[in-house]
Amino acid sequence: MLPLSIKDDEYKPPRLNLLRKVSGWFRSILADKTSRNLFSFLCLNLSFAFVELLYGIWSNSLGLISDSFHMFFDCTALLAGLAASVISKWRSNDAFSYGYVRAEVLAGFVNGLFLIFTAFFIFSEGVERALEPPDVHHERLLPVSILGFIVNLIGIFVFQHGGHGHSHSSGHEHSHSLFNGGLSHGHNHRDHGHSHEHKHSHGHTHGHGHGHSHGQDYCHDDHSLEVMAGSSKQILQGVFLHIVADTLGSIGVIISAILMQNYGLMIADPICSMLIALLIGVSIVPLLKESIGILMQRTPPSLENALPQCYQRVQQLQGVYSLHDPHFWTLCTDVYIGTLKLLVAPDADGRWILSQTHNIFTQAGVRQLYIQIDVAAM
Amino acid sequence: RCWQNRRARLLCMLALTFLFFVVEVAVSRVTSSLAMLSDSFHMLSDVMALVVALVAVRFAQRTRATKKNTFGWVRAEVMGALVNAVFLTALCFTILLEAIERFTEPHEIQQPLVVIAVGVAGLIINLLGLCLFNHHGVGGHGHAHGHGHSHGGRQQHPRGGPKPEQPPGDGEAALNRDETSTLVENSSSSNGVSQEKLGDMKDDLSDVQVNGNAGHYPLDEEEVEEDSSAQLNMRGVFLHVFGDALGSVIVVVNALLFYGLWNPCPEDGPCYNPCVNDHCMENVTLFRALGSTNKSEQDGITVAGPCWLLYLDPVLCLIMVCILLYTTYPLLRESALILLQTVPKQIDVHSLNSKLRTLEGVEAIHELHIWQLAGSRIIGTAHIKCPDPSTYMMVAKRIKEIFHDEGIHATTIQPEFASVGSESGRGKCEFPCRTQCALKQCCGAGEASTAKKTEKSSSLSISCSEVVIEFPKTRRTKSESIPSVKLEANADQNEQFESSL
Repeated sequence: MLPLSIKDDEYKPPRLNLLRKVSGWFRSILADKTSRNLFSFLCLNLSFAFVELLYGIWSNSLGLISDSFHMFFDCTALLAGLAASVISKWRSNDAFSYGYVRAEVLAGFVNGLFLIFTAFFIFSEGVERALEPPDVHHERLLPVSILGFIVNLIGIFVFQHGGHGHSHSSGHEHSHSLFNGGLSHGHNHRDHGHSHEHKHSHGHTHGHGHGHSHGQDYCHDDHSLEVMAGSSKQILQGVFLHIVADTLGSIGVIISAILMQNYGLMIADPICSMLIALLIGVSIVPLLKESIGILMQRTPPSLENALPQCYQRVQQLQGVYSLHDPHFWTLCTDVYIGTLKLLVAPDADGRWILSQTHNIFTQAGVRQLYIQIDVAAM
Repeated sequence: RCWQNRRARLLCMLALTFLFFVVEVAVSRVTSSLAMLSDSFHMLSDVMALVVALVAVRFAQRTRATKKNTFGWVRAEVMGALVNAVFLTALCFTILLEAIERFTEPHEIQQPLVVIAVGVAGLIINLLGLCLFNHHGVGGHGHAHGHGHSHGGRQQHPRGGPKPEQPPGDGEAALNRDETSTLVENSSSSNGVSQEKLGDMKDDLSDVQVNGNAGHYPLDEEEVEEDSSAQLNMRGVFLHVFGDALGSVIVVVNALLFYGLWNPCPEDGPCYNPCVNDHCMENVTLFRALGSTNKSEQDGITVAGPCWLLYLDPVLCLIMVCILLYTTYPLLRESALILLQTVPKQIDVHSLNSKLRTLEGVEAIHELHIWQLAGSRIIGTAHIKCPDPSTYMMVAKRIKEIFHDEGIHATTIQPEFASVGSESGRGKCEFPCRTQCALKQCCGAGEASTAKKTEKSSSLSISCSEVVIEFPKTRRTKSESIPSVKLEANADQNEQFESSL
């Protein structure tokens, strides 16, 4: 007889499934240290933004309100990073034979793009303000920017602890700043952005986050990043960059506020924003180059030197006539995939050649390899 | 014919938009209107989008393999589409925030006539752009559709010239020729690593032609270029121009209504503007109004026109943002999926698997990966386990054919030979990817080992490398995975979560 059961797992109502999914995500986030930190930082930022929003509404200050919107915009970048760290852990399935590991590269790229966009907007606003300097009200600026500075310092300490160890071998600055390096989205817009009450004629946006991540400055800090399991290292690096950028932006804003207050240099405001925009733009470029390289299936830069030697060694194997059509590309950080075709003699030992070739390339760091053996016609 | 050319169109639009940007900046300086200046920056972002698309098109035409980029630059168009989609989204957020700001502090339009004029000019330019790209965006060429039938088409009319002896088993012979020509060309190259000649990109063109013939058909190549990745790119541009057109429409409508209905405060005389929170003026006028007992003076105070007009702008902007986001999302999703190395929608991995497995001589299939490079270029790789090399030789062509039938033209099949003495039909994957992958899920999860969530999983054993590609009992494309590799000594998986895509 057919067993009848009241509780049948297959027929769970959809609502519970969603709940299960969401709780699954939370568990995934909390499981990994990096994403935990990221999540808590995101919460911190969000709460700061809400506080600012409420305060702005209460005190009817447009500057603070729009500033809090900037922070929300900023939080979306952090959210993207978090989402990517969850997504990249999903299993592979029919539609994604490699799994979702590329999500982090993509997220880094998208964040970089957002940053460029915000740099562009900061620049344009700076230009506008230079042409028509609005009234700048300082009273609320300093406390807000100092508060933001403190939040960022907290972030620095949190993420500084997260990574300790030796620096990554390949070029410290940007080899791992892939992922969230793009997050250096500036929190500081909050401070800078609404350092003025708007006049009616100037209804402009803020689309900016200022924060700069300078190539030179964070170099020292980078060395402390550990070579962890690839993805978390990247995410950590990125968030760190983001926070350092914010902090520097805060400092910049504080300085320009002081200049404006004490010396009446109104021009400091737009010049500050333009400089910040330029710095963001410049610092993002290496990051973008790297993620574009990965997404375009480029040969991994770290393998570029090793590959020709590998080819030589493979061709010296007995029975191998030639090697052609090699394609090596990066799936995600440190995971390389390669395909190539070997032309072998009819009497060659296929198995041996295959295993030798695999060994050669494994030593080079390529673990997933597909070697096609074409036997030469006699 | 040059009008059909994507580049020409992009350049044309680029020139127009840039010109208009310059004009707008000039006008804004003359009329000292900040709104115009901000609008001109929107135009500038449009210019940037066009530049991105142009760069992508230029790069994507370099399909030759280079040292660094062995696949050529074909993915550039997909990237261009993604970049445009992301910019558009960011732009939408910016506009949203602006609109919200205007809600809280509405301001009137100064000099509506000028705004109307500039707005109309912008609208005309955008409409022109829409026409230019719309024709393209809808897929003007017939074979802009996915590889499926275009492949079939190509196989039917053999374009290879000097191949009079085309046997009916076209595919097979062609494959043969393909391989031999490849081999021939290679043996003659000096160091054996010839990347130039054999970009995999040629595979899909030359599967009925010998490699050398590909050059004879530049027309074909160009037609084939107009495939879905180019479409993606153009769609990105189209959406951007569309967004701009919507913006212009809003500007014009708003300015027109404003001009018609707004009752502005005259320069002289007291005026009370109830819509704007200008406390200073308010107090002055109210004071005067209250203070005067003379009725005629009271009547003289004009009240600035209907307030709802000031809120029209943000409302329209919000609507526009919704429309834009709705239309951009599919583009974003599609290009992101390609970049995430997804299996193309038209390919059914399970049926491919089953076809391969039913071949004689094939014992098992591991690590089957199929992904889309760009457009119709699909790349597939697999490990195929055969009892011995001679069986493999027999089966290799059939395998390639099966792939070609699905439209996967660039394949790399690694043969694996059963270790001596192993009888099991499903042996180990001889060359699995190692523990590194466990952390990153790159090889396909060892879901067999964590049986908790996988009530539907059909894979058998655990720890060492189970190959198993069985048919799932129910076709659930979501949570099934192709258990491709697993050689992990420790079946220690991090928590693995089902995808919800």
